[in-house]
Amino acid sequence: MFSDLLFRLRSLFRRGTVESEADAELRFHFDQQVTKLMKSGLTREEAKRRARLAFGGHEQLKEEIRDARGVNLIETLFQDIRYGLRVLARTPVISCVAILSLALGIGANTAIFSLIDTVMLRMLPVERPEELTEVRMSEPRSPDAEPQPTFTNPLWEALRDRQDFYSGIFAWSLTQFDLSQGGAVHDVDGMFASGDYFSTLGVRPAAGRLITPADDKRGCPGTAVLSYGFWQDHFGGAESAVGSTLSLDNHIFNIIGVSAPGFFGLEVGNKFDVAIPVCAAQIFDGPKTRLDHRSWWWLHVAGRSKPGVTADELKARLGVVSPQIFLDALPQDWEQKNQQDFLKRSFLPTPARTGTSYLRRQFTQPLHILMGVVGLVLLIACANIASLMLARASARHKEIAVRKALGASRARLIRQLLTECVLLSTAGALLGVFFARWGSALLVRYISTGDNKVFLDLSFDWRVLTFTAAAAVFTGILFGVLPAFRSTRVSLTSAMKGPLAVDAESRAKFRPGKWIVASQVALSLVLLVASGLFLRSLVKLVTMDVGFDRNNVLIVRANLHNAKVPLEQQPAMFDEMERRLRTLPGVVSASRSIMTPVSNYVWNNSLDVDEPNAPTGDAALAFFNFVSPAYLGTVRTPLLAGRGFNDGDTKTAPRVAVVNEILARKFFPNGDALGKYFRVHPEPGKPALPIQIVGLAKDAKYESLREEAHPTAYFPIAQVPEDAEEQVFELRTAARPSVLVTAVQEAVAGVSKEVPLDFTTLARQVDDSLVEERLLATLSTFFGGLALVLAMIGLYGALSYLVAQRQREFGIRMALGAPRDSILRLVMRDVILVLAGGVTAGVCLSLAAVGLLQKMLFGLAARDTVTLLACIGVLSVVAFFAGYVPARRAMRTDPMVALRYE
Amino acid sequence: MAQKRIELPQGTLDLLILRTLALEPQHGWAISERIQQISSDVLLIQQGSLYPALHRLERRGWIKAKWGTSENNRRAKYYELTKTGRKQLELEQDSWKKLAAAVAQILETA
Repeated sequence: MFSDLLFRLRSLFRRGTVESEADAELRFHFDQQVTKLMKSGLTREEAKRRARLAFGGHEQLKEEIRDARGVNLIETLFQDIRYGLRVLARTPVISCVAILSLALGIGANTAIFSLIDTVMLRMLPVERPEELTEVRMSEPRSPDAEPQPTFTNPLWEALRDRQDFYSGIFAWSLTQFDLSQGGAVHDVDGMFASGDYFSTLGVRPAAGRLITPADDKRGCPGTAVLSYGFWQDHFGGAESAVGSTLSLDNHIFNIIGVSAPGFFGLEVGNKFDVAIPVCAAQIFDGPKTRLDHRSWWWLHVAGRSKPGVTADELKARLGVVSPQIFLDALPQDWEQKNQQDFLKRSFLPTPARTGTSYLRRQFTQPLHILMGVVGLVLLIACANIASLMLARASARHKEIAVRKALGASRARLIRQLLTECVLLSTAGALLGVFFARWGSALLVRYISTGDNKVFLDLSFDWRVLTFTAAAAVFTGILFGVLPAFRSTRVSLTSAMKGPLAVDAESRAKFRPGKWIVASQVALSLVLLVASGLFLRSLVKLVTMDVGFDRNNVLIVRANLHNAKVPLEQQPAMFDEMERRLRTLPGVVSASRSIMTPVSNYVWNNSLDVDEPNAPTGDAALAFFNFVSPAYLGTVRTPLLAGRGFNDGDTKTAPRVAVVNEILARKFFPNGDALGKYFRVHPEPGKPALPIQIVGLAKDAKYESLREEAHPTAYFPIAQVPEDAEEQVFELRTAARPSVLVTAVQEAVAGVSKEVPLDFTTLARQVDDSLVEERLLATLSTFFGGLALVLAMIGLYGALSYLVAQRQREFGIRMALGAPRDSILRLVMRDVILVLAGGVTAGVCLSLAAVGLLQKMLFGLAARDTVTLLACIGVLSVVAFFAGYVPARRAMRTDPMVALRYE
Repeated sequence: MAQKRIELPQGTLDLLILRTLALEPQHGWAISERIQQISSDVLLIQQGSLYPALHRLERRGWIKAKWGTSENNRRAKYYELTKTGRKQLELEQDSWKKLAAAVAQILETA
């Protein structure tokens, strides 16, 4: 097989030699024959004549030899390519439009696919990732729910010490560390990693050494390992970084090494800059450390099972060790019922070869939807090029007839035409890869929010490149096959008969062109409907009344724990800061709280009320915020009845609360909540103090814009029951909030220079919670628009072609007295037929497909009539104009010119 | 030249070429001459089929070609059997003999 290829290639590349050798060989034969004939007594002339007669065509024979040597197959391919390039270069505009629309289509597909690949399919860049399993925890209370991925440190330590079936097991937890020592926060991505983390994953150091079990012992000093990227960015890759120190949340850590390049951790979408041992949590926490906390769920656990331990075995053995481990790590302060549930939990292994990712949960559906969207765009682009090809092939009618008359086989012609198409699609794919690189990086930036910078390794792997290559070949054949087969079905007789006969034939031939345009109309209607739905959802989300005013609110998060302020001094210090911020020029009002709306933080607990049929269990859950008196006024959540908080609501004053309407309605259905008391479900051993409702506030969104407003209770911040070492200031500003940042820093520095501050705005926070919706709306609108443009180019091109073809017919009609607008009607009838067919099919397709989108929509049904009608309207108007232009041209046909033609 | 010539059945040309080359390396003209001679002019090989066949056999690696000097002192392309070619010849000879015997048997008895 291989030698055969070599032989063919030799024949190909040493074509000159092979040619002349064949010549020489044949001439030798010829001369021998002549000599022989002359020996038998013929004259030289007669001998030559006889020999030549027996010999047949010299060139033909050489061609057969070439075939026998297997040169032709490759050679004609090169010929086809050369010829194809010439043909494409002859119509540069059409070729460019085709390549560009393909590049957009293929590029978009590659970009989305590369995201799907990185987020969902790609193996982790570690040693033998297929052996890794993540440990999760089953929850017997809700067996259908996804197993929990996080563990407490006591659980982790017990599991680590009680198992003998992992060759390596480790825990990790991602977090943020603040590098600054007071002033503006400089967060980096941090990771707690247990002693066996790096060794089990097989990650090697790029410099120094990595964390070992010896570094991960209770009471350990602060040691840190840098990621390669952070080492390069922050230390310029200097060797001296190892051995130097780093301040993390205001604690000093010694840098012991740098991990290998390309290793980002196990969570796809996140990276780490600095890794420190799990035991170092104590350095931040002090004596009440999370290391001993039995209901602080923060560690992920994964491991590599010992050779020979199968997946089933692993599951069974984890199940066997579970009861004792959960007994050892039982949270003592839980209620008895919850404790019993806790003891029923058990460990479950789940495959971790592709790592874990919150992105996967969040973006699987949007990415699949987008994949469908860009797939449709590519189909529409293909259809466009198919009709271009069809039109051009009809224009090449003569050429094809001539080639056929000269003896080219139909297969040979089809091969030639398909080669041209694959050339186009290959060029499109190459350009598309560039679009894709740029596009996927843009997408990652787009889904990154202030709080959550998405990090993805977007280098294209074999899977993405295979996908692109397949897309190129597939599209090339898709848009090439029909025109190729159509246009090579040339009847030689009609081609000879002259242009009129050809005309009649090519009109019949153009019927598939109408089909193509109709299907484009249908597909682009589907895309328009999808983008219309997403757009309307987003608009509904953005414009709905959320119960607070997000504009012009600066949010400043201040952490006194990291500033090492003693607990007892903190309340006074927060008070002082709030007072100073309130007087800043440009601040309309200032307040502080524990939570801000839609911030990803939740504080909830069950309420007890002395009412008949009061809600219990999960139904009695209410969401809390602790706020300063100015809070409701600052975020502009209206107080509907009763009073707000004032300076009299101190820590020692009677406990009071302002509740929202839903809470009031839910717990006090008689509408008399004001003045009533409720109790918060207490921790065991603590008294449940009665809290009086003194005010009623309007409902406001708490966790996300998509929620039905949660039952919410506001409490005075002075009465916060736990240590709240991080609090948030809200500043309503007269102008753009961001201009106040420096002034705020200076004001806080006037109280303490050590306090790290984190800035954002309420508007930004709300926007960030709508990433998926905005992604879908923006991209589907973009692609819907693109599809519309492509389809209209298709319609315009097809009609222009049709009109040009029928010019003589129109001329004759007019010469015979047809009024001009009858010609217009003639053409527009075609437009309307195509449009009607396309829209009908598109409506059916849309109605069938939009059900898939329902989950991603907000405030409207997938089969939303308004959206559907609006899309049909837009499409019809645009299509009408795209068709009207060529139709006008037909109407203006000058009969004289048309008939003089040819 | 008066005898009737017989069309070669498909595929037999290869066998004949291989057999002819089994004796000694030959150039194309000599091959056709020899086949004609030995078959007492029954088989006449057309150049149109001889040369494509030679090149096909060369591609398959059953024969190889090199340039040499002919009896009348001209440059000519000589073909010779390769090892695989020799094996192929044995194979084809066997199957041909079996085929011929079988055909003969049927013709005689039936």
